Amino acid sequence: MASGLLATRGTLTLGLHFQHVCRSVLVTQTRQKKRWMKAYTRIMDAKLKLDGPPPPMRRSEKPNWDYHSEVEAFGVRLQENFQLERLKTAFVNPCYVRLEQEKRGALGLETEVAALVLNDNTELCARGKAFTRDFLSDWCRASYPSLPDEGVAAVLDHLMGFEVVCRVAQNLGVEDLTMSAEFPVPDEVLYGTFCATVAVLEESSGPHRAGLFLRDFLTTQLIGKDLFDMWSVVNPMGLLVEECARRGLPLPEPRLLRSAGASTVLPLFFVGLYTDKKLLAEGPGETLLAAEEEAARVGLKKLYGYTENQRPLDFSPALLQTSQSNTHALSSG
Amino acid sequence: MTARGTPSRFLQSVLQNGVGRYVCQLKRISLVFSKKAQSSNGARNFIEEGVVDYAKKNPATVVYISPQPCRIPRLVAEYLNGHVREEVITGKTSQEISDLVTKLTNQSGLDIIRIRKPYHTDSPSIQGQWHPFINRPPSAGPIRPPGTVHE
Repeated sequence: MASGLLATRGTLTLGLHFQHVCRSVLVTQTRQKKRWMKAYTRIMDAKLKLDGPPPPMRRSEKPNWDYHSEVEAFGVRLQENFQLERLKTAFVNPCYVRLEQEKRGALGLETEVAALVLNDNTELCARGKAFTRDFLSDWCRASYPSLPDEGVAAVLDHLMGFEVVCRVAQNLGVEDLTMSAEFPVPDEVLYGTFCATVAVLEESSGPHRAGLFLRDFLTTQLIGKDLFDMWSVVNPMGLLVEECARRGLPLPEPRLLRSAGASTVLPLFFVGLYTDKKLLAEGPGETLLAAEEEAARVGLKKLYGYTENQRPLDFSPALLQTSQSNTHALSSG
Repeated sequence: MTARGTPSRFLQSVLQNGVGRYVCQLKRISLVFSKKAQSSNGARNFIEEGVVDYAKKNPATVVYISPQPCRIPRLVAEYLNGHVREEVITGKTSQEISDLVTKLTNQSGLDIIRIRKPYHTDSPSIQGQWHPFINRPPSAGPIRPPGTVHE
C-alpha cells in the first residue's frame, strides 16, 4: 500500500525523474523534501493501531545470535563447568523435536534421508527433578531442624513451584537458550529445561557442585519469606496443641493481655499464650479469635525456629569447605 | 519536575544476586558500527585495540561485532532480566567506549531511575509495628474509651 502511494506521488509530482526498470517497477530519484513521508508514517501508525504490536520473537531469530558461544557463556556466567554437548541436549525439549519432524514431513523429506539426530531432555529432566527434590528436602531439614514433615513439604512445594523456578530460570538466561515449539516459552517447558540443566550439572561436576548451585539460586528465594505464606494452616491453635503434646509441654492457655477500643470500629486485642506459666507467644488481632490465632501462629513459628528475627541462613561460598577444614583441624588436634 | 514526580524505585537486585555467588548480569553486547563513516572512527579503534581484551576478561558476556552501513554507531547491551539498553557512541573515542562498556558490564539491567533510599529492607520496622501499648508498662490495664466505667 505504502509503496503504491510512493509510486503515484512520484509520478504525479516528479514526472521528469522516473525510470522504468521493468514493466511494473518504477524507480524515482529526487533530491528534495520528502513530502510523501508524512502520509507514509501516518499509514504505518494506523496499521500498527489496527494490527497491534508484532508478536514477540525468539532471541535466536533476531540478528547477532551464535548458539555455541551463548551456551558457553551460560556456563561461565554461573561459574560452573558444564559438558557443553550434554548442556545443549538439556535445552532441547520434546515439543521442539516433534515440531521439527513435522516441519520436515511437510517439506516432503523422507525420514530416512533427513533423519533428525537430536536427543531430547526427557530423561535429564526427570533426573534433575528428583535430584532437586532430594537436595532441597535435605537442605530444609538441615536448616530448620524442628520443622515437621508437613512444613518441609510446604516449603519444598513453594521452592519447586512453577512460579519460583520459572522466575529463576528466566533471570538466569535459560529462556533464550531453550528450544521449544511455542514462544514465549510455556512455564512447564521452562521448568523442565531448568531441571535438565541441574541434572547436567550433577553429571558434569558432581552432586556437591549441583547442590551448591541449587542452594545459591533456589533457596535464596526464601529470604524474607514468611512460613505461613507458603504453608496454609487452617487451624493453627490445633496444630500448636498437637505440637505441645508431642514435645511434652503443658497445653497452651490463652489469656487476654491487653485490649483497646473494644466498643469502637477499631478494636485491638493482645492475646498471650502461656505454657507452664511462661509466656510462649503473644499476638494482636481485631477480635479475640483473630488475636488468639495470630498468637498461635507466632508460637508455632517460635517452636519451629522460623522466626523473622532468626539468624540469617549461611549462603557463604566456602560453607562446606570450612566445615571440612574444621573437622580436619579437630582430628589433627 | 520535582523529585516526587519522577519515577522511582527501591534499591534492589535481580534474584538476590550476590547472596551465594555473583552473576554478571550483562549477557550479550553488540557493537553496531560502519566500516566507512567518520562517526564510527572511535568504534573501529576500539575494535582494533580493546574488544578482544574485553571479551577475554569477561567470558560470561557474548560480544558481537556487526559492521553495517550506518551513520550512528551504537552499543546494544542485553541483560539477564530481559532489559535491552542502547547507547549511542557517535564520535566517542576508543577510551570512552571502553569506559562505557565497563559501566554497562557492571550494571544490573534494572531501570536507571531515582532510587528512593541508598538502603532497603523488606521488613522496615526493627521494633515491630506501632500499637497503642508501645512504651506502656504491662501493669497498666486495658485502654477504654473515655467515660466508661472500669470494672
